[in-house]
Amino acid sequence: MTAPADSRQRILDRIQAATQSVAKNPASLANAYAELPRGYVRHGSLSAEARLELMVKRLREYDAEVVETTPQELASTIASQLAASEKHTVVAPPGLPADWFAVGFNWKIDRSLTAAEIEQVEGVVTAAACGVADSGTIVLHHSSTEGRRVLTLLPDWHLCILRASQVVETLPEYFDRCSQPPALATYISGPSATADIEMTRIKGVHGPRFLHVILVHDEG
Amino acid sequence: MSHVVPNLVNLDPRTAPPFPQAALPMLRNPQLRKNVGHAIDVIQSKRAKLVAEKTDWQELRSAAADIRMHVLENLGSYLEQFEANCTAAGGAVHWAADAEEARHIILDLLRQENASEVIKIKTMTSAEIQLNPFLEASGVRAYETDLAEIILQLGEGEPSHIVVPALHVNRSQVREIFARRMGLKDLSDDPQALTNAARHYLRQKFLTIPTAISGANFLCAETGSVSVVESEGNGRMCLTLPRAMITLAGIEKVVPRFQDLEVMLQLLARSATGERMNPYTSLWTGVTPGDGPQRFHVVLLDNGRSSMLAHPKQRQTLKCIRCAACMNACPVYRQTGGHAYGSVYPGPIGAILTPQLMQMHHAQSLPYASSLCGACYEVCPVKINIPEVLLELRAQVTDIERKTFSRFLDPMYLGLRIANLLFARAWTFHLAQWFGRIGLSLFTRKDGWIHSLPSMGGKWTQTRDLRGLPGQNFHEWWAARRKEAK
Amino acid sequence: MRASLFITCYNDTLYPETGRAVVRLLERLGVDLDFAPQQTCCGQMHANTGFRCEAFSQAKRFIRLYQDAETVVIPSSSCVAMIRDQYPGLVAELGNQELRQQFEALVPRVFELSEFLIDRLGVEDVGAYFPHRVTYHASCHGVRALHLGDRPWRLMAKVRGLDQVPLQNIDRCCGFGGTFSVKNAEVSSAMLAVKLQDVVATGAEYCTALDNSCLMHLGGAMHRQYAGMKTIHLAQILASTEDCPAEATL
Repeated sequence: MTAPADSRQRILDRIQAATQSVAKNPASLANAYAELPRGYVRHGSLSAEARLELMVKRLREYDAEVVETTPQELASTIASQLAASEKHTVVAPPGLPADWFAVGFNWKIDRSLTAAEIEQVEGVVTAAACGVADSGTIVLHHSSTEGRRVLTLLPDWHLCILRASQVVETLPEYFDRCSQPPALATYISGPSATADIEMTRIKGVHGPRFLHVILVHDEG
Repeated sequence: MSHVVPNLVNLDPRTAPPFPQAALPMLRNPQLRKNVGHAIDVIQSKRAKLVAEKTDWQELRSAAADIRMHVLENLGSYLEQFEANCTAAGGAVHWAADAEEARHIILDLLRQENASEVIKIKTMTSAEIQLNPFLEASGVRAYETDLAEIILQLGEGEPSHIVVPALHVNRSQVREIFARRMGLKDLSDDPQALTNAARHYLRQKFLTIPTAISGANFLCAETGSVSVVESEGNGRMCLTLPRAMITLAGIEKVVPRFQDLEVMLQLLARSATGERMNPYTSLWTGVTPGDGPQRFHVVLLDNGRSSMLAHPKQRQTLKCIRCAACMNACPVYRQTGGHAYGSVYPGPIGAILTPQLMQMHHAQSLPYASSLCGACYEVCPVKINIPEVLLELRAQVTDIERKTFSRFLDPMYLGLRIANLLFARAWTFHLAQWFGRIGLSLFTRKDGWIHSLPSMGGKWTQTRDLRGLPGQNFHEWWAARRKEAK
Repeated sequence: MRASLFITCYNDTLYPETGRAVVRLLERLGVDLDFAPQQTCCGQMHANTGFRCEAFSQAKRFIRLYQDAETVVIPSSSCVAMIRDQYPGLVAELGNQELRQQFEALVPRVFELSEFLIDRLGVEDVGAYFPHRVTYHASCHGVRALHLGDRPWRLMAKVRGLDQVPLQNIDRCCGFGGTFSVKNAEVSSAMLAVKLQDVVATGAEYCTALDNSCLMHLGGAMHRQYAGMKTIHLAQILASTEDCPAEATL
């Protein structure tokens, strides 16, 4: 069996031989890339109000519960969502804003909790990085307000706080907003689902079966 | 050609029966054809609706086609970029020239982890290199975690579709498999109950098996990130909970920059499952302290891909983003299902990819497994001109045949060679028409139709009649008319 | 308006009535039609089966034969697709500059029948009379290679007495595919069975199309199965008048 370094060189040599008539040298590669035509829609055309309405509509289409509120009412909305869902033990990422910790619930803050410990909680509350209205996508970059990836994966119930100012219409607008690419990202556009058995759509295979979104109207 | 109906599914292109033969079990199974047709109709109608609503669909296709071709033309640079960035972020990149090497690299990595078990996210690339049986034989048990893949693994079946691999299995068959292999005697055949059984079965595995293997939908050169697209959440489980992670990816999976995902992600879910976006898409870069696997490896697989790059017309095959829209649109696949293609890659993309990965030594019947209707090209999100590649591969297969003695025993070969000579001059063509008319009149019944022909003609008359050759053909009529006019 | 008819090898041999109909139709519309008797085949069958060198020689012959034609009309969308889509590659590979120039000058002058009527003659009402229930099958090459669009419908809409019945899954392949029908006879037959179900379900008397290849396939099964339907090329419908009704194909 060939040594690892040999394979790497062999593969790169084969690629080079195969593409030498068309490959750009490193100096002109970036230009060639920049010149690729992109005729697709990058910016949305909806008003802010219509955009938020679309986001809510898409979320509800995939059975996420959506509640709208104001910054002033946020804390009480969180409390009522938790109460209505009968969730008592809830995990939160370490950076979750202090006033989001509704009183009367058993909050566990994720300071390197084990998977077994996270398995014991009934729900998780996080912020989000962005919302894309076109597809009803919630973007998590797993910052300290959104939590490690395991936090939004193991619990069965996820309450996500999304600010209106975080919502864009199109997917390219989300990419535009990323001043640099995130190291980690999860794009949620529905509860886990499968259609593998006779094309019958079943929800909730792995990952939270219940997604609740609080949309906070923080626009001016 | 033998009419023995093969009853064992064989997805190894080196030994699978030729397509016309391999298709027979499915053609003889109306229930299965109906199931496949139904599944395809569901995805097709969802896709059509979403494509109609996306006003910039064609522009997205163009951009994706351009980006992917640009990558392939500069694949060396982009792979090196990916490797550098992934390594800088704490990942380790390995290069496998072929399937055997890839298997050994992966096994070595698993041994480094003292792994006797591994959880897997569905990746066709691992089926391509026949990884699971190899690991099993080497003492490592691999557990598939996609629902369809579990159905197939526990039921010892083979995938028949890229996106919905267990398309051909109905609910009572799934119930039987789960009841037997999971020890659930009272399991019903309700899809919800079956799914719950799978969820429960896998939960412990996710929480306790510390090593995982995944594929990749996209490798991002700019950042060294990997992206995986899924519906069920088993991917997120495998990417997040284990201590060590191995991602196996074909070298062609690269996109230049993170931003290019804005094009790919808009096309992929709509094409694959008829959704605006699939439920979960994950992106990760090397190793992130405190979050997810702390040891991460990427195994880049060549296995015939680099030789495909050399041919301008064939290079486009590697643009594929594995959405399976082509097989959903294909009228041939609709009747034959995936197993007929004798490869882990079925359908139109399989018909061009498989023979090329085999360097044209095997799967030579696959380029002919098409009526060239073009429906696949119409739906391909990255604009692979599949008919054009099929024609190119047919020419290569024919050129191989030209060098074999058996060509003299092939009526199609002889017929076409002779036809070419006859078409070269008007008088030979007309003479052939005259002889043909006389010859075929022997088979023409009183009603003017031919019901049965020998040899190759018999393949037509198996199921179709042929109208007898008219007593006066067109050019004779024209000549007679001219004469009359004078 | 002068035009040269390329009848196609299979129409010449198997469906001369389609050729006769094209002549009747175009002459009725005032076209000065000629027919080059040396014509044979466009090379599609060979090119599509992998016999490229053989296709080269047929392509060369076609190009040379029609280099001085004002317009070439072809009642077969698959042959026109061959000329537009595959000839460029064949010609480039041959590397003959003169041939390439001849081809590039010729290709804009090649028309499929419905294209010729609508785009070149600018007519939709060709004065046809065909009082029958008809369903139209959209051949793959016509739809996806030539992008014929609504041309056939615009022509059929003006045929007096024609009762058009829509076909489900209209642009799903009938399964012919040239040599595919023989090399993959069983699969081709399965596709044909499914297509025929849709065609027969229309309850039409005739199935029409712009390609006799598809109609040979569908018609062959119809006859075998006593399906109670016939096939007829659209040219024959368009040529049909009260005085001179279309010759029935079956």
